[in-house]
Amino acid sequence: MPESSRQSGPSAGLVLRLAGAWALVGIPLAWGVWQVFEKSLALFR
Amino acid sequence: MALLSFLDRERSIAGEHYSRWLVPPAALAIHLSIGQAYAFSVFNLPLSQRIGVTHSAPEDWKLSTIGWVFSVAIVFLGLSAALFGSWLDRVGPRKAMFVSALCFSGGFEVASLGVVTHQFWLLLLGYGVLGGIGLGLGYISPVTTLIRWFPDRPGMATGMAIMGFGGGAMIASPLSTTLMAYFKTAQVPGVASTFVTLGILYFCFMMFGVFTVRIPRPDWRPRGWTPAERPRAMVTTGNVFADRAIRTPQFWLLWVVLCMNVTAGIGVLGQASPMIQEMFPGSISVAAAAGFVGLLSLANMIGRFFWSSLSDYIGRKAVYATFFALGAVLYAAVPSTGRMGNVVLFVAGYVVIMSMYGGGFATIPAYLRDMFGTVQVGAIHGRLLTAWSTAGVLGPVLVNYIREYEIAHGVAKADAYTTTMHIMAGLLVIGFVCNLLVRPVDARYTGEYQSPAAAA
Repeated sequence: MPESSRQSGPSAGLVLRLAGAWALVGIPLAWGVWQVFEKSLALFR
Repeated sequence: MALLSFLDRERSIAGEHYSRWLVPPAALAIHLSIGQAYAFSVFNLPLSQRIGVTHSAPEDWKLSTIGWVFSVAIVFLGLSAALFGSWLDRVGPRKAMFVSALCFSGGFEVASLGVVTHQFWLLLLGYGVLGGIGLGLGYISPVTTLIRWFPDRPGMATGMAIMGFGGGAMIASPLSTTLMAYFKTAQVPGVASTFVTLGILYFCFMMFGVFTVRIPRPDWRPRGWTPAERPRAMVTTGNVFADRAIRTPQFWLLWVVLCMNVTAGIGVLGQASPMIQEMFPGSISVAAAAGFVGLLSLANMIGRFFWSSLSDYIGRKAVYATFFALGAVLYAAVPSTGRMGNVVLFVAGYVVIMSMYGGGFATIPAYLRDMFGTVQVGAIHGRLLTAWSTAGVLGPVLVNYIREYEIAHGVAKADAYTTTMHIMAGLLVIGFVCNLLVRPVDARYTGEYQSPAAAA
């Protein structure tokens, strides 16, 4: 069976759920990357 | 017990309205948590000052003793992945991820008890053994699930999860430092309270993954995607069970491939900070060296996603051939940039090297899937991770002992790195040859099995 037989796009609930899930992992990861980026600037000063 | 039935494989089959794009964040929640292991070194100094607080008292643990905690954790990562891989394929990802969360966060709590009571064996048992088991289970749990949800792009999917393992340290390092500063008093360096807090935080974060992950229905496939009628030459159409897979030359060739790639990479990671300071004396400060280490971590993380995604297009064998050929050239050439005094070229060279180190971890599950099929890829991946444990010991031992030997025999510190890097290049040549020898699995190992796990 294909991923979905519905012709319409994903529901608003699913979009919200997807956004929330990605934000939950993306925000801490972005914070960590920013911390590293800031620290690594010392290398080029 | 009825509550725990929620963890059963049958209860985690996706409904019609579930999106497969929820699986990568679930996997990332696990890998970002267990990736904390790479940041364990931030605790080394505070742990060595548990009694002295501002200095190491005679009764305090030695740094060399504390170093065992991380080593034991990595050994148990490999062992648990190898031992519980088949169990994971049987019970499904949700239960395995739950047990991983219990072990990993529970390990922090036991370790904090070890710090409070100053019992090293409790610290080793908590973070090293219990935490290590959580690491192994958590590492392999989402991989099989992602491969089944993304048959069209398995490299990209596993790369996304395993990228989290590289990124976990970037979150854990500043978070742990902040927590220790908050909990530090005149009497304690704040490690025990930080362990307790991290254990709780990571458990909650990992539980998000447990609640979110689903396995696809047996007849599910991505919209608009049909399996290729004539798959690539290196992609098997059959399935090989784990106990049969380890009897194939392909398994052991890939074992050596992973082991060589990791050994060389760990060698660089372990001595990145002193290396850049000694190769550019007077121009690289301690803070700048820390920035270099951070940049390498970033390259390690990005490489996991980039290279494994690329492997979906050019093939796993070609990607590994690139790692080993380009890697060997860079390892051999980069010390010369140090002698030329060119920091930018030196950093750029190691950034590429570290991206390929990370890429090696992330591409291997898809390589295994190509060789052995999807039925027991989790168990096979788990067994292959013993190569990581081996490299975790081999890499630092090789690098440290060779360097000490060279320096003891009158070689200048900066030049001692050159020999080490040339040896690493040699290891990559071995990896290149092994990768070249990988051929499709013989048909006698495949096709005759019908696994109950195959249904999902």
